[in-house]
Amino acid sequence: MTTAVVPGRRRAPRVTHKRAIAVFVAPFATLFTLFYLVPIGYAVYQSTLVVEREGTFGPPTQVFGGLAQYAQVMQSSAFWDSVLRVLLFGIVQVPVMLGLALLFALLLDSPLVRGRRFFRLAFFVPYAVPGVIAAIMWGFLYSPNLSPFRPVTQSVDLLSADLVLWAIANVVTWVFVGYNMLIIYSSLLAIPAEVYEAARLDGASQVRIAWSIKIPLVMPAIILTAIFSIIGTLQLLAEPQVFRTFSSAVTSTFTPNLLVYSTASVPNVPLAAAFSVVLALATFVLSFTFLKVTQRKAFQ
Amino acid sequence: MRTTTRAAGVALLALTAVTACSSGSGDTGAAASGAAAACEPAGEPVTLTFTSWIPGIEDVVALWNEDNPDIQVEVQTGPNGNGGTYQNFFNQLEAGNAPDLGQVEYDALPNFRVQDGLVDLSACDDVVAAQDEFVDWTWQQVQLGEDDAVYAIPQDAGPMALFYRADLFEQYGIEVPTTWEEFATAAEQVRATGGYITNFSQADVNQFAGLVWQAGGSWFGNDGDQWTVDLTSEESEKVAAYWDDLIERDLVSTYPGWTTEWDNAYNTGEVWTWNSAVWGANSIMTGAPDTAGAWRVAPSPQWEDGGESAGNWGGSTTVVFQGTEHVYEAAQFALWLNTSEEALTALIEAANLYPATTEGAALPALAEGVEFYGGQPIYDVFAEASTQVSPDFVWGPTMTQVYNDVSDGFSTAISGDQTLPEALAEAEESTVAALEAQAIPVAS
Amino acid sequence: MTIMVVFTVYFLIPIWWLLVAATKERGDLTTTNALWFSDLNLVENLAATTGYGGGVLPRWLLNSVLYAGGGALLGTLLAGMCGYALAKYRFPGRELVFNVVLGGVLVPATALALPLFLLFSQVNATNTFWSVFLPSIVSPFGVYLTRIFAASAVPEELLEAARLDGSGEVRTFFTVAVRLMFPALVTVFLFQFVAIWNNFFLPLIMLRDERLFPVTLGLYTWNTQVNQVPELRLYVLTGALLSIVPLIVVFLLLQRFWRGGLGTGALK
Repeated sequence: MTTAVVPGRRRAPRVTHKRAIAVFVAPFATLFTLFYLVPIGYAVYQSTLVVEREGTFGPPTQVFGGLAQYAQVMQSSAFWDSVLRVLLFGIVQVPVMLGLALLFALLLDSPLVRGRRFFRLAFFVPYAVPGVIAAIMWGFLYSPNLSPFRPVTQSVDLLSADLVLWAIANVVTWVFVGYNMLIIYSSLLAIPAEVYEAARLDGASQVRIAWSIKIPLVMPAIILTAIFSIIGTLQLLAEPQVFRTFSSAVTSTFTPNLLVYSTASVPNVPLAAAFSVVLALATFVLSFTFLKVTQRKAFQ
Repeated sequence: MRTTTRAAGVALLALTAVTACSSGSGDTGAAASGAAAACEPAGEPVTLTFTSWIPGIEDVVALWNEDNPDIQVEVQTGPNGNGGTYQNFFNQLEAGNAPDLGQVEYDALPNFRVQDGLVDLSACDDVVAAQDEFVDWTWQQVQLGEDDAVYAIPQDAGPMALFYRADLFEQYGIEVPTTWEEFATAAEQVRATGGYITNFSQADVNQFAGLVWQAGGSWFGNDGDQWTVDLTSEESEKVAAYWDDLIERDLVSTYPGWTTEWDNAYNTGEVWTWNSAVWGANSIMTGAPDTAGAWRVAPSPQWEDGGESAGNWGGSTTVVFQGTEHVYEAAQFALWLNTSEEALTALIEAANLYPATTEGAALPALAEGVEFYGGQPIYDVFAEASTQVSPDFVWGPTMTQVYNDVSDGFSTAISGDQTLPEALAEAEESTVAALEAQAIPVAS
Repeated sequence: MTIMVVFTVYFLIPIWWLLVAATKERGDLTTTNALWFSDLNLVENLAATTGYGGGVLPRWLLNSVLYAGGGALLGTLLAGMCGYALAKYRFPGRELVFNVVLGGVLVPATALALPLFLLFSQVNATNTFWSVFLPSIVSPFGVYLTRIFAASAVPEELLEAARLDGSGEVRTFFTVAVRLMFPALVTVFLFQFVAIWNNFFLPLIMLRDERLFPVTLGLYTWNTQVNQVPELRLYVLTGALLSIVPLIVVFLLLQRFWRGGLGTGALK
């Protein structure tokens, strides 16, 4: 209790408040270890196994197979096709979604918009809709014969092989714009009002203030949402899975995670684990690169 | 520093647990293989767990629990097999905590057998004695090619026949087809009126398998030493080429099955027939309520004039999972559930199941005329069809994968980039690869 | 302003459709205008939906409230404590812990599911409330957000002042820091709540007893049975509407905390 006030202690480069740190960090660290690290470790272990058996119905035994599953992953064109597909998806959908989220956050934060509470709620409501349900709803709205927007959906088949990826992108955008908007908006709220005072006194326009003061200040939040969106894109599962039930263009290997899911249900668990590990690594490389590229701007 | 040490300790502990766990499941796997399990009563009250996704199954099991205080059954429900329950069964088998009994469809039995998940019930005399009660082909399906083994108790069957809009056929003066050749001709005539004779749903690969089954083909074979994969057999190719032609000429619609869109196509009379299983009767009734009274059922079109063969689509069994300590009691319950008049009547009422036993198919609940079908006693048609289903169709050990791959290929075919036979050839290749990845011997 | 109105329509139309669909008879679902009411049947639909399967849907909703409410509350607390410690104390391995936690976000849920199941099987804890609840309270995102936020919103001087007043570290956290971090904590709570509410993959793998299901898994289960019991299609839609309502309520209740000034005001 008294350590903090003893003079001289503070100058020493030692760890102070060890007990407090333990109390704060240990509960989370324990659960994180149990429910993230250990399962990850186990998945990595699984990915090194191969199945052996004798006869047509011989019981399976799993033995160590080194990197055999990873060789399969490398050769799997279905896997790499699906990775390319979600990359294409991400390159288009993530900037559009975040652009909208930033625009709405800035509008909400500006004096230009009235009825903020209403808009905040209206834009966020889609996030309350579980991905599975959202996909079912949009599937109905896309339907050529049942949609309330038949003039559109009958002339353009949104569920065809060419367009279904973007039809899914719309669902994801619909669900997540509000969520990302709130992250950016809450970081706008954290900017002290004094920061704007000078600019306002100089007679800077709202657009000017937004562009040269607000956006740079919320850059970390934007980067955060971007990284989470990149991760989310690579892990797309629920939406394409639901779309499979009403669009013949969505295959069982449409996204990497869908491929993991269908591989695990064979059940070829070791290969599914290897897919997951490679996917996690690819996600890491992508988001890390993105962070490095943008870091100078974000955390100077 | 202390936290790091502690965290490391926890990690170590958990890691030990995982290692112990993985080696543990390996042991049970090795020990459980081999001959039929012993089938002795426990001599004391037992409680069994049973996982099934039949709507209303709780009420049926309640009937059993009332009469059998010593063998209580707890029901657990979940999504349908491919919707997640099979995956759960596999996980539970790996962890050694599978339920005592489970619902498994015919096409998934080899998959569970190959993961060593099923108890051979042939040591239970009552089970062996029950063979004669079942329609022959359903029993063949649960033996998985071994003469003396019984890996499941058949529950229901899905013999196929042709649902058709009698009113439309009459209105336009088109003959109801009895052969596939006539069906193709009728398809042109129906198309000329603006409708489609039927719908081809790429996701319903097991319906397609039923058509191959009817044509006398089989997709798999198992001689005890190795598997053969034959998605491109002569019969399979014939069926694929037939439908490819109809799709190509825009004579059938291609709505994905079981969607509102698909319901709507039937409800508005755009699509005229459905060559489907017996349980499809209920699907039309609820999906196309505006067409009440207009439907009738006829035997499936045949490949040969005057032929008498039927396909099968769907149907479940009750299995006893490896790891149970109460094989005898589990078998008793499974037999009651799938052979007793009391249980079958309840199942018919709750979920429109079509029993796999001969007597069950003749129950009063299935003998009456059905109003929706203009009072036609439609189940008579299916009872006839059930006797015409070939006992020789064999399912493969990785059907989930086969369905996915065939369905993916069919999708490409429907969008015009390849043909159905090409899709089957591709799926055959990927299936062989999937079997090899599981170290399952396969003839190449 | 026009932009906002246009996008409001975009965001709300599907919800509107759901609301309208839930008021219709099953037959009208495909035959009448999807964006306007036909014969109002909402009360009957609600009664049928909540009564189906022995009235299991209300129970699912209650479960979801417990999983999401309890899980988000505890998860926010744990993440907040960890994030605060990472922001305000220097200790060896600090960056390592932070990076490892962030790395946890990268792993797809499909990869964790089976190992988690085997882990819980080891202690015979699958098919229990805890098998879903415990893994749900881990929020790496929460740690990230609270750390970033605490670093800027909780001034060192305030902590020092509290220390000089003789307040212990833990007490300082709960009396001073929590108040300053409140906007971030509410954010974490909200997002964790929604994440748990929407998660159905973990419950799907862990649970066998229908009475433990959260509402998403329950509705998913119904949706897979539509082939056998087509009335379920309508129940799924009505149930989906019912499952969104509590989330909107939670958001409305928490909305006032989003107002500016709470975090910034304390800085003055």
